Amino acid sequence: MALARAAGQAGPGAALALLWLLVRAAAPPAVCAPGDSGCLRLSVADLFDRVIRHSGRIHSLSTALCAELENRFPARDNELGKPARRCPTAGMLTPNGKEYAQKIPREELTYVILKLLHAWKEPLSHFNQHMEHHQELPDDSLSKAKQISKMVHELETGIEKVTEKMQSMGIISNSLHGMASSEAAGFSSTNEANMMSDSDFIHCFKRDSNKVQCYLKILKCRIMPENSC
Amino acid sequence: MDLRHLLFTLALVCANDSLSSSDDLLRWPQISKCRSPELETFSCYWTDGNLYNLTAPGTIQLLYMKRNDEDWKECPDYITAGENSCYFNTSYTSIWIPYCVKLANKDEVFDEKCFSVDEIVLPDPPVHLNWTLLNTSQTGIHGDIQVRWDPPPTADVQKGWITLEYELQYKEVNETKWKELEPRLSTMVPLYSLKMGRDYEIRVRSRQRTSEKFGEFSEILYVSFSQAGVEFVHCAEEIEFPWFLVVIFGACGLAVTVILILLSKQPRLKMLIFPPVPVPKIKGIDPDLLKKGKLDEVNSILASHDSYKTQLYNDDLWVEFIELDIDDSDEKNRVSDTDRLLSDDRLKSHSCLGAKDDDSGRASCCEPDIPETDFSASDTCDAISDIDQFKKVTDKEDLLCLDRKDDESLPTLADADAQQLHTNTQSDRSESWPPFADSRDSASPSVHTQLSNQNSLTNTDFYAQVSDITPAGSVVLSPGQKSKVGRAQCEGCTEQSFAMDSAYFCEADVKKCIAVTSQEEDEPHVQEQSCNEDAYFTTESLTTAGIGLGASTAETPSLEMPVPDYTSIHIVHSPQGLVLNATALPVPEKEFNMSCGYVSTDQLNKIMP
Repeated sequence: MALARAAGQAGPGAALALLWLLVRAAAPPAVCAPGDSGCLRLSVADLFDRVIRHSGRIHSLSTALCAELENRFPARDNELGKPARRCPTAGMLTPNGKEYAQKIPREELTYVILKLLHAWKEPLSHFNQHMEHHQELPDDSLSKAKQISKMVHELETGIEKVTEKMQSMGIISNSLHGMASSEAAGFSSTNEANMMSDSDFIHCFKRDSNKVQCYLKILKCRIMPENSC
Repeated sequence: MDLRHLLFTLALVCANDSLSSSDDLLRWPQISKCRSPELETFSCYWTDGNLYNLTAPGTIQLLYMKRNDEDWKECPDYITAGENSCYFNTSYTSIWIPYCVKLANKDEVFDEKCFSVDEIVLPDPPVHLNWTLLNTSQTGIHGDIQVRWDPPPTADVQKGWITLEYELQYKEVNETKWKELEPRLSTMVPLYSLKMGRDYEIRVRSRQRTSEKFGEFSEILYVSFSQAGVEFVHCAEEIEFPWFLVVIFGACGLAVTVILILLSKQPRLKMLIFPPVPVPKIKGIDPDLLKKGKLDEVNSILASHDSYKTQLYNDDLWVEFIELDIDDSDEKNRVSDTDRLLSDDRLKSHSCLGAKDDDSGRASCCEPDIPETDFSASDTCDAISDIDQFKKVTDKEDLLCLDRKDDESLPTLADADAQQLHTNTQSDRSESWPPFADSRDSASPSVHTQLSNQNSLTNTDFYAQVSDITPAGSVVLSPGQKSKVGRAQCEGCTEQSFAMDSAYFCEADVKKCIAVTSQEEDEPHVQEQSCNEDAYFTTESLTTAGIGLGASTAETPSLEMPVPDYTSIHIVHSPQGLVLNATALPVPEKEFNMSCGYVSTDQLNKIMP
């Protein structure tokens, strides 16, 4: 957990570096010539590695927070799909297996990732506000929640930049914007979140963070032409 | 559903208890575990219960239901995973979706479990463990190896669908406890410092990166250096940590520390082991003695030093008489030492001088490095010639009546040291004088310094300072210096409570005192006057001019006259007289003028051992 937190501390810096590098990468070649020692050119693979590491940190943090909350508020286990446990992103269609993730187009996979991250931003902020009023929780959990929220923002920004780079490089098409409008968020986050307990909420997020991480890995594998994904 | 489940569980428990008596162990079928090795498929395993034989011979079914399903479905594959298992292949597996499985026999539900596939990941063990020798130590006793393995074949690590962590454990063959390394992502691990003469066993297990549970252990890898054909040295058993030596040395150290602490409590032994660092002081004189007021000892010590008689003058050093004309009776009330010395209050002087004179040795005073002062005083004006007379004096007042006067008379002695000597007359006086030397240390060192400083000017000095007091009660005067030194001296001496009436000054000091005070314009008071009034003469002047006020001479450069140093005042000859004992000379034994009651220094020295 300390590793995750330490990694999380580097998160903003990594995201900023990521952004800066993406901007630089998108800049005209005259700005940064190859072989220039002061200018670091990152390939898409490197960018993906950074994004994947970031999502891994998010997953670790959420796992730790979920464990803490479940220790404090023991969840009713072995419950199947109770309304109280309905995740904010339950209505979203996401590939539920590796083969599905391999089959769908890369643009759609990218879009799914972005949609997932975007869907969690608002519930997480609500959750943070709710946690701050929660006097019983230790500061450790509160800080983790805040960090998760912040890192989700950063990850979304990073993935958007990676997407732009991929689109500029022609790896994926520019049809992403069309998909964004077709599918609305489709969930009333506020109502759902209010009904859920804290541990269930974070449990949902943990699962979705694992999804994001796996999708990113598959996406990276699929983008690299040499890999047999 | 919740209540039903609870009742079901209770029923099971009760049934177990009730039926356990009849049968050894009646168990219901239970789902033992569900695991997914690679996050693509999963299997569930259950155990048969003994009840199976008793109940109707139906078949146990495993039913499952996903979150979005409405109905329970049966297990698609009972075979692939073995007996009493259910295998869900990729088509039946949805990763991030909650599942519930239950073990049932028709309508009888034995067990139920709900989970999500991403939470039950338990990877298979790694495969293809092997090791290579990295290097060996120079002695050939230890060596480093590198262990490599492959991830479990089922896990799709290459595409990154699952990330695995590995934990390696190793131990010597005949040990029982495994040593663990930290979980790491890499599939190769170096092991350092293995004993070449031993064989090792290594095993690895893996887990999903964010989960807590490890999968099964891999097969054990045997590491044997002899098989690798590596040259190694059979060495004897390693020397283990020398606990025995540590205990022994620790005990010794403790004992030494305790002994040192105990010894430090005893000053004598402490002195023996940690001898005190010698501080500059007069040989044989302990500053503490002076402080404590043990005048007898101080006097004895001072007197025992023959080396004090360094300044020897060929002149006859018999006690010279100096009669001091004291006209002003008010001088009694003067604060200055000079006044006191010259005042009519002879009692002071007597008492001060010979109070504790038990010793016979008398060092001559007024020698540069003689810190002692010989005061011989008697009440009856005549010099106390012998020790007995000294002893007669019972009045223990200061010769210089330093203590009688207020502290203001000793401005430079405002410290406690002077007060400590209060009871001790001579020592007090001796303390009072050293301030001339700008130091408040013990009398001896400062006086010594003073005397040594004055050594250079002895020929032209006049006495302006009582430098020390011998045990016999004689004041040892130190020759004053010219100008500044003298001024300083006289400044002190004027302020000191001279028992003027009955005190003897070394001529130089007194003369210096006069000279200085005459020079000083800021002390036009009686002290100066008293200084001037007193007849301080050098030996020559005394002998030649007799006793008389030598104010003029004091001011004149009689300083330049080579005079011997008088370093002790023996006896008050008269109310205005001073009997000065010059510095000890190796003169033959003089006639001991018993009537006058004074003794020369050397005579005293001869008298006393």
